[in-house]
Amino acid sequence: MTRDKEEKRRPVLFINDHADILLEILKRLDGRSLCTAACVCRLWRALATADSVWEHLCLRRIVSPPPSSPGSSVRPVVSALGGYRRLYMLCVRHLLTRLDRDPGGRWRTSSAWDELQLSLSLFCVDYYERLGGRFGDTAATSSLMFLCKPVNV
Amino acid sequence: MKKRDHQDSCSSSYGGDSGGPSSYGKAKVVWEDELDASGGMDELLAVLGYKVRSSDMADVALKLEQLEMVMGQEDGASLSQLQNDTVHYNPSDLSAWVQTMLSEVNAPLTDPAQSLQTDLDFSSLQNHVNAESNQTQLRFSDDSEYDLSAIPGLAAYPPRSPPPPPMQQPEPPRNKRLKTAIGSSSTNPNLPSSSSSSSTVIAAPESTRPVVLVDSQEAGVRLVHTLMACAEAVQQENLKLAEALVKHVGLLALSQAGAMRKVATCFAEALARRIYKIRPQDPLEATYNDILQMHFYETCPYLKFAHFTANQAILEAIGTTNRVHVIDFSLKQGMQWPALMQALALRPGGPPAFRLTGIGPPQPDNTDALQQVGWKLAQLAETIGVKFEFRGYVASSLADLDPAMLDLGSPEMETISVNSVFELHRLLACPGAIEKVLGCIKAMKPKIVTIVEQEASHNGPVFLDRFTESLHYYSSLFDSLEGSGLSPDSEDMMMSEVYLGRQICDVVACEGPDRLERHETLAQWRSRMGSSGFDPVHLGSNAFKQASMLLALFSGGDGYRVEENNGCLMLGWHTRPLIATSAWQLAPTVGNQ
Repeated sequence: MTRDKEEKRRPVLFINDHADILLEILKRLDGRSLCTAACVCRLWRALATADSVWEHLCLRRIVSPPPSSPGSSVRPVVSALGGYRRLYMLCVRHLLTRLDRDPGGRWRTSSAWDELQLSLSLFCVDYYERLGGRFGDTAATSSLMFLCKPVNV
Repeated sequence: MKKRDHQDSCSSSYGGDSGGPSSYGKAKVVWEDELDASGGMDELLAVLGYKVRSSDMADVALKLEQLEMVMGQEDGASLSQLQNDTVHYNPSDLSAWVQTMLSEVNAPLTDPAQSLQTDLDFSSLQNHVNAESNQTQLRFSDDSEYDLSAIPGLAAYPPRSPPPPPMQQPEPPRNKRLKTAIGSSSTNPNLPSSSSSSSTVIAAPESTRPVVLVDSQEAGVRLVHTLMACAEAVQQENLKLAEALVKHVGLLALSQAGAMRKVATCFAEALARRIYKIRPQDPLEATYNDILQMHFYETCPYLKFAHFTANQAILEAIGTTNRVHVIDFSLKQGMQWPALMQALALRPGGPPAFRLTGIGPPQPDNTDALQQVGWKLAQLAETIGVKFEFRGYVASSLADLDPAMLDLGSPEMETISVNSVFELHRLLACPGAIEKVLGCIKAMKPKIVTIVEQEASHNGPVFLDRFTESLHYYSSLFDSLEGSGLSPDSEDMMMSEVYLGRQICDVVACEGPDRLERHETLAQWRSRMGSSGFDPVHLGSNAFKQASMLLALFSGGDGYRVEENNGCLMLGWHTRPLIATSAWQLAPTVGNQ
């Protein structure tokens, strides 16, 4: 009898039991929401901080990568430089907000792939600067500080 | 050692420059002879009854301007006092008369030499210059009865008394309390003291407050005029006048704010160096120079733009080759190459083998800075999976390079490209050097040569033209620095200003083989490259798009403009282009391919 009551009280679907569905949902979130999601519980954190989700986020706007450079060749490079999550936090995030702020801008003829390329280049420069230890341990080296500065709207 | 020999050979073959002033001086002597016939007085004004020496004309004009401004202010006290109390001696001697008028109105100022933001010891240098000018008859010898160093308003400026207590930089707020010309509601607490002190005959500087009754907006215009007048005086070798004017510039500069102030102080310092012959500047250690450039790299997009556009040109030129060899004339910290290596790593078909030869100046403490850069780049290359090789060559001047030393592969084996960012213009200081280097580049048989240079004409033969050009150029640069949104106290900002200030000193103060910053315009470089056997390569739309995107990321991005100019890309601030990237290839010759 009690078991029946318990079965009625138990929710039909508990998302944590279905990690694959959870992953699919997380893949569609934006950066800020992903970070918030990572604070929920251990499982969510493990899923939300996995690099594959962030890769999805970074490459989302690219409808189809040019056949010349498939996404698979990008991944090892990005992983070596610090991963997609870091790439997003340091470069892509700022790029998207800056460029979105200027919808009629003259550069808008570029594709999302070009934007990603630019992010990658800046990311690489950042990695290189960090190698030298010129600024020691700062969280963001100076070469990307211009991205963090507030833009005059 | 090598550098000195090279410089000696340069200076001996560069006799033309040192011969210039002396021949100019001879013309001066002839002119002064003519003047002495009329007693040194200007003839036209003499007809009107005024006695003014021609040599003092500029100074008198300045004082008259000041007087006019003072009179124009609604300060009834000083005007009535001028009318009633002042005794004017010998009004036909225009300069002295104006002098006394001004002295009645303004309280004496402190010694402006101390408020100039330099650490030069003006007094000792002044004596030195005086002694020097007495010896040479070719200079302007000013033996008028009043002391020319009495800047308008300084009036009773007792030369022997000790200067009032130093009032330098801790007092800038006081200087800022300038009375605006007409109808301003801001009260100037200095004003009551000035009117009270001006009623007494001024004997000694009792009040040490600088009362410069000047409108700060007009001061900006006057600042520029004074700078130009000073440069003109320097051009005419009228060093006494120039000296007085440069001190005045220092004062006026303090009344400005922001970019204008910094530009003015930089140029004032450069002019002072030229006047007092403190040149060349202390040569900076190469590492310190690199640090300055790094800060400049971070504050504004010019260097990033240069690197990215050059990289794009290189990428497009190398196509699908398997081996790339880049010879970099301007390695510095190697900030250009990580982006290229990343692009190579993602190249369709896999990355080529990348060889980099970096040329750098000798280091004073024998540390191998080039090798350190090479090691860092190698680490990065290993991380992203690009085969990499580095070699560094130390050369104090690019003209010392010998292509045979560089161990180049043949063009079939590797695709060679040459890169130079802000380096080629230095070669113009030595005649023949640029031709030698261009010949050297041709001997390397590169597929592409990328050149980034400042877009300015700072290498003309006439000093005044150079001065005007550089004033506009660096004003734009400083404006863009200010627009970058960094706080003015940040290390990056200050270092960038030092970096630019050194360039200004070089352009304005140095001459001959010491003047290294000989910027030339894109058109001039085009003709030079064309006549040396290079054909232009058009930078494609990819480079343009990438550059525009990059600029959109910078705050103040609205101010920057990317322009395409016949296949070359120029980055500028508002309407003024500041740097230009161009790409070149060897012109096909008969019998070549």
